[in-house]
Amino acid sequence: MIRLENVTKTYGTDIPAVRDASFEIAKGEFVFMVGPSGSGKSTLLRLMNRQEQPERGAVWVAGKNINEMSDSKVPYLRRNIGNIFQDYKLLLNKTVFENVAFALEVIGRPKHVIRQQVPAVLDLVGLSDKEDRFPHQLSGGEQQRVSIARAFVNRPLILLADEPTGNLDPATGEGIMRLLDRINNTGTTVVMATHDQRIVNMMRRRVVQLDRGVIVRDQERGVYD
Amino acid sequence: MIARFSYAFRETWASFKRNVTLTMAAVITSAVSLLLVGSTFLIQRAFDNLLTRWKGDVELIVYVRSDADANQIQVIEDALKSQPAIIDVSKLRYLDQAESYAEAQKLFAGDPGTLRLLTPENIPSQFKVVPISQDSNLIRELGEQFRSLAGVREVAYAQDVFDVVSRVSQFIRIATTAMSIVLLMVAVGLIWNTIRTAMFARRREIEVMKLVGATNWFIRIPFMLEGLLQGLIGGVLSCLGLWGLNSAWSNAVADFNDTELAALVVTDGYMRFVMFILLGIGAIAGAVGSGIAASRFLDV
Repeated sequence: MIRLENVTKTYGTDIPAVRDASFEIAKGEFVFMVGPSGSGKSTLLRLMNRQEQPERGAVWVAGKNINEMSDSKVPYLRRNIGNIFQDYKLLLNKTVFENVAFALEVIGRPKHVIRQQVPAVLDLVGLSDKEDRFPHQLSGGEQQRVSIARAFVNRPLILLADEPTGNLDPATGEGIMRLLDRINNTGTTVVMATHDQRIVNMMRRRVVQLDRGVIVRDQERGVYD
Repeated sequence: MIARFSYAFRETWASFKRNVTLTMAAVITSAVSLLLVGSTFLIQRAFDNLLTRWKGDVELIVYVRSDADANQIQVIEDALKSQPAIIDVSKLRYLDQAESYAEAQKLFAGDPGTLRLLTPENIPSQFKVVPISQDSNLIRELGEQFRSLAGVREVAYAQDVFDVVSRVSQFIRIATTAMSIVLLMVAVGLIWNTIRTAMFARRREIEVMKLVGATNWFIRIPFMLEGLLQGLIGGVLSCLGLWGLNSAWSNAVADFNDTELAALVVTDGYMRFVMFILLGIGAIAGAVGSGIAASRFLDV
């Protein structure tokens, strides 16, 4: 599903954010990218949906070298990749329903599809009763569920999650992890960057550990350290 | 498809309301600049009317009485051709009554009273004379000789109007063109700035849109529509202004209907053409300006 071949990414002229990274993620896998802040986890995720281009090496997604893809094709790549962030990135002037619908609206899905799919995905994340609330009327965990609904409403092949539990208390974070686990069970590949040891140890999934831009460990059913 | 259209219009309208002050500034500036562009068109056209008679280096016109017979006309023509040292015989042109009548339509555009009195039967025909000699006294002397010929109604000299008018028209043309270009650039700049502000206000939305895979065109089109609308509203306002100015001017000129000023009037047909051009320039400048602005702030 995702393959990195000797990828190096440098910001400015400093030391590389990612150095010579190679690994492969199979369809339906759940992978943690772990390591301290600044170790290159987020950069790796950003390389996977072409928010960044590497200096050297190649990133393959669903059988395509996305670095050689023309700019006009990038939106279609991204329709197959959902994104979740630590700060949710919800639109504050839109309701829960509108936030999720927005993701379908801007890729030109017709109204009847939106009316059918948005309630379904809100049901999946457990927010059916809150579709008319605004983000500021929700707890952090609920806001993150909205953002997961928005990322998943288009049934993407891949879900990229950048510190999704970073702003949440442990119990709420566990709830989010259970939700991501359920999404993974539907066949969606999940790649999650985190430095939350407890969660990694709880889930017992594949762990790719980074240290100053270099992959130092890649372990099936791993723990944080 | 319908979903896309309704999305674009909704966003355009919302953004329009959000930036009222900047939008007003952009609309007013484009209206004023387009008004100047339009005025330049009309002024040029008016002066062109005034100078139609003298197009092509014509310096001297011999008007022939409408009741002159073929013989008398031949005599005048022969007399003109007998002066090859002063007159460029190859450029000598005779406008018969039908042609002169057509020319008069422009010349007396602002003077319907006179125009109504003219018919292709009673209008004088004319010889348009292009001189070789640069000596204006010589041309004038020659002209005076023709006055006494049978069948000649009048002799007119370009010099009497041409020099002043052409210099004034040249000056006005350059000044208004320069001002309208500068103002048009200011207007495009203001539209650019409103679009940039609008995009900044919606940067979170744009970020999300890009992440969920909206195409750049999808993101750009509401902004381009907004710019187009600003330009178009500016165009409409400038058309109203221009129409008002032209009516006021035409009414004022009607009081001078037996002078050369009567030619300085633009007919409705041309006016409509200019209005159409103004709307076009406004719409295109607005759409292109905002489209470029939107692209610049849409890094992939």
